Amino acid sequence: MIYLMAWRNIWRNPTRSRVVILAIALGIWAALFMSGFATGMMRNYIQNAITNVVSHIQIHHPEYQADNNVRYTIPGADSLRKTLLAIPEVKAVSVRTLVNGMIASSQTARGVQVKAITPGEEATVGLSADKIVEGDFFAEDRKNNLLMSKKLADRLHVALRSKVVLTFQDLGGNITSAAFRITGLYAIGDEPFEEGHVFVRRQDLNRLLVADLTDSLNVEQHLAHEIALLLSTPDQVDPVQAELQKRLPGLRIETYREVAPDLRLYESQVQSVSWVYLIVIMLALVFGIINTMLMTVLERYKELGMLMAIGMNKWRVFRMIMLETLFLSLAGAPLGLLLGWGTITFLGHRGLDLSRFSDALAQFGMSNVVYFAVPQETYAQAVFILVCTAFLASLYPAWKAIRLRPVEAIRRI
Amino acid sequence: MGVIHVEGVSKIYNPDKIPVTALQGVSLTIEAGEFTAIVGPSGSGKTTLLNVIGGLDRPTSGRVAVGGHEITGLSDNELIDFRKEHIGFVFQAYNLIPVLTARENVSFVMLLQNRPAAEREARTQELLAAVGLEDQIDKRPAELSGGQQQRVAVARALAPKPAFILADEPTANLDSHSASNLLDIMARLNEEEGVTFLFSTHDQRVIDRARRVITLVDGAIARDEYRS
Repeated sequence: MIYLMAWRNIWRNPTRSRVVILAIALGIWAALFMSGFATGMMRNYIQNAITNVVSHIQIHHPEYQADNNVRYTIPGADSLRKTLLAIPEVKAVSVRTLVNGMIASSQTARGVQVKAITPGEEATVGLSADKIVEGDFFAEDRKNNLLMSKKLADRLHVALRSKVVLTFQDLGGNITSAAFRITGLYAIGDEPFEEGHVFVRRQDLNRLLVADLTDSLNVEQHLAHEIALLLSTPDQVDPVQAELQKRLPGLRIETYREVAPDLRLYESQVQSVSWVYLIVIMLALVFGIINTMLMTVLERYKELGMLMAIGMNKWRVFRMIMLETLFLSLAGAPLGLLLGWGTITFLGHRGLDLSRFSDALAQFGMSNVVYFAVPQETYAQAVFILVCTAFLASLYPAWKAIRLRPVEAIRRI
Repeated sequence: MGVIHVEGVSKIYNPDKIPVTALQGVSLTIEAGEFTAIVGPSGSGKTTLLNVIGGLDRPTSGRVAVGGHEITGLSDNELIDFRKEHIGFVFQAYNLIPVLTARENVSFVMLLQNRPAAEREARTQELLAAVGLEDQIDKRPAELSGGQQQRVAVARALAPKPAFILADEPTANLDSHSASNLLDIMARLNEEEGVTFLFSTHDQRVIDRARRVITLVDGAIARDEYRS
């Protein structure tokens, strides 16, 4: 009956209760909205990074990541590609040759990483024709074509069809240079990457890297420093990595989290950010709930005194006030969760267009549209934190209630 | 020893500031089955005496025993438990639980005593029938008249099978008809079931029905009169 009393008591002043319930519902909605936005932003960043930069898994020579020396190649990379493609979880594979060097225009020069790719392979893993904003994606079958970002072109004061010179160290340890023509400008919405990477055909770069070697033709055909894998779903990253490491003990198999530790940080933040938003908003709500419950207790001072007079002990009074607070708080939860779920679902499908901030977003490697997402456990977290909030908010009013002396309370007529 | 034994009870409010003496050296014994009214002018200490006897207030000195148990030394929680088991209260302003129906109000006290549901239900029906409210059991206090509410309060006070019922000005807010009706019920319960009633009242209708009238003046018993 105490449960019944507590439930009915919260409806004694329906307007006041509705205001509190609405505030709680809006609080939960706001927390879910913020969490959905933050999670969407992070996933956007991670997804962009995976698609454009790191892919799901990368394979290198064990020493390559330490000093990026061109001599640390992957033996039999092209035949390995075929083996990798036979693994069911692997969706696409791109074999790359990488060198760090200098790109120079007639006016200026910058340090870049040259990614030498096979266009057909790369299009399924990373850079593809839809990222080309001017020119084409290696459509011309001529030697020494190069793709660079629009940003880098601006920095170098060059345009489509301009010539640039790439300078780097070849396999023999000699500095070599070659002229390349810009046949395409790309944009992936990740400024740091765009300013530091250019793409050429693998066969063009391999030819330059092995020019001084005696067995150059044989080496040229198989030279590669990186194999990038895209999987069917990100969930398979860890098992596939483990499996590949077992099969290829002489190579270093890394997931995107290892290649780009900032992505691991972001992923872990996805889980903690919901807690932060929920806790901050609920802390603000605590005071509203305390205020309401305190008013309720003070208004019913005489009634509470009567309850103690007829034999309701202090623990039961305390429990009743706590239950009232809990019911009041939880009454707002379904509405808040429903509103939050609806908003997240809608904006998860449609996305929130932030194109007016596209420049700022691009600096962080994010695209203009943020698709909201909230991990399922966030809804449970919201209810858990709400219960904790209600518990905290109930303590003071309940304590106040049991401090009264029945004889003084009853005297208040 | 009677059901209530009060010995040399004094009550002084604000003893450290401006002392107000509400009771001074009151001694009395109430026997089981009495129908007693405590009367006196306003400020004479009627309600204070009832509160002290009911364990709602503590005397400054003296002792109070109910059913042979001295209650003056009990802690707050022990007093609550004692009241729950041994004392029924009827207040001037009814003081029912507004969110509960008449049935639930009566049943509630037995719930506090952890009585089984079947026993609670049976006794609730019996008591509400005894006060003539068997057809109003599912109404909340706001849907009942003042007289009906006070009858529910009497049923509630009887529910835990207390040693006696303390009624503080029970008819003060009632019209003549309701007051008379309520007094009839209380008198019947007293005569037929031996329920002990102790009233504090100004109401002549209550005084006329009482078989013992204790008159308090300035916190002391001025007269203690038995009627046949």
